[in-house]
Amino acid sequence: MPPLLVIDHHNGVPAYRQIMDQIKLQIATGVLAAGAEMPSTRTLSADLALNPMTISKAYSLLEHDGALERRRGQTLVVRAVKDAEGRSARLELLRTQFAAAASLARQLDIPKDEAIRIFKASLDETQS
Amino acid sequence: MNPTASSPCPPFVARQITKRYDQHVALKDFSLEVPAGRVVGLLGRNGAGKTTLLNIAAGLVLPTSGESFTFGIPGANLDSPQLTRLGVVQQEGRCIEWMTVRQHLDFNASFYPGWDRELEKRLVAALEVDPARKIVQLSTGDRQKVNILLGVCHRPELLLLDEPMSALDPIVRARLLDQLLERLREDGCTVVISSHILDDVEKIVDWIVGIDQGELVEDRAFDELQESYAEWTLISPHGSLPASFSEPYILSHQGDERQALLRVHTRDAGAAGRLAASVQAEIRVRPLNLEEMFPLITSSRRKA
Repeated sequence: MPPLLVIDHHNGVPAYRQIMDQIKLQIATGVLAAGAEMPSTRTLSADLALNPMTISKAYSLLEHDGALERRRGQTLVVRAVKDAEGRSARLELLRTQFAAAASLARQLDIPKDEAIRIFKASLDETQS
Repeated sequence: MNPTASSPCPPFVARQITKRYDQHVALKDFSLEVPAGRVVGLLGRNGAGKTTLLNIAAGLVLPTSGESFTFGIPGANLDSPQLTRLGVVQQEGRCIEWMTVRQHLDFNASFYPGWDRELEKRLVAALEVDPARKIVQLSTGDRQKVNILLGVCHRPELLLLDEPMSALDPIVRARLLDQLLERLREDGCTVVISSHILDDVEKIVDWIVGIDQGELVEDRAFDELQESYAEWTLISPHGSLPASFSEPYILSHQGDERQALLRVHTRDAGAAGRLAASVQAEIRVRPLNLEEMFPLITSSRRKA
């Protein structure tokens, strides 16, 4: 199945950025497996109702970042990455979320050890 | 597939154009180049000079001084071979009132060797136009649809759209955008669109040109603009914020010593962190959408 992408035209984040972030997240979470084929620029442009230039920009940057690679012909596929590389991409995603949480903790004047305790408790919570 | 590839010169070039109407200066020393394949959103307040610029590009108006080139040909010399490569949709385009929509389409088609009947059929369906009706009986919205049909069906290389959808409902606007995107994919055409419906503009443009009081105030990739304008919220529970900020990239500031809302223009990714550290505050960064950027873009000259 092609990646499910949702573009918010109103949040101010450039559309190419939104495409990149969502595809990277889907790769990191395993929703998109190594070797999965990306839809063509034309197809995705029609599906998302976006300027084809926007799609090519997102694709070429994802290729540059090593998330996608071009296979014989023109097909873009998810690149297979080494465990360590995939792990560091996943950690990076988590780190971004933590930075925001850390900022909030400081605004709320919550001491470090207490913030850490709260995060540990969140990790232990079983998903319903 | 891409007819513009055969023409080496940019579809539109303006060199130091000034356009005067009696005492009124509509465009002032205006220079712009629109390369092939670009989709330009023309932004400006009412009376800024957008329509004048589009009319000059279409060869309908000549500059008082300076030069304009459409497909490399000076505006005054544009004739039928170039005009068939041009698609113009004016805000209040004139139609022949006594004709039916069908007759008008056939009439216009007779001038264009490249008139695409298939495309015409698709657009008539997408825009929900009744070809049997007489132009004189049409509402403002339906007239606008006919103008779009007349401007697009010959598959122009350069499409000049002046407020083309101000009277259309959201459903028809969405279909029109889809059709425009299809033209981009199929023909790789160049588009300059002026519209106050920024929600729609945001979805298709890759470039923004800002005009203020006849002067060019912005000429930049849309992505780049989105990544340079932002709103920063500074929060300091201890009340450590200054009464004013001197950083040149800060365009506006409101708030007090505990919180401040800033509108900024900078591409420096580290700037937010440094400012927050310097005033011992937490910072939240939020990008701006086109509607929020609009006043900042269209008045940057006066601000500086």
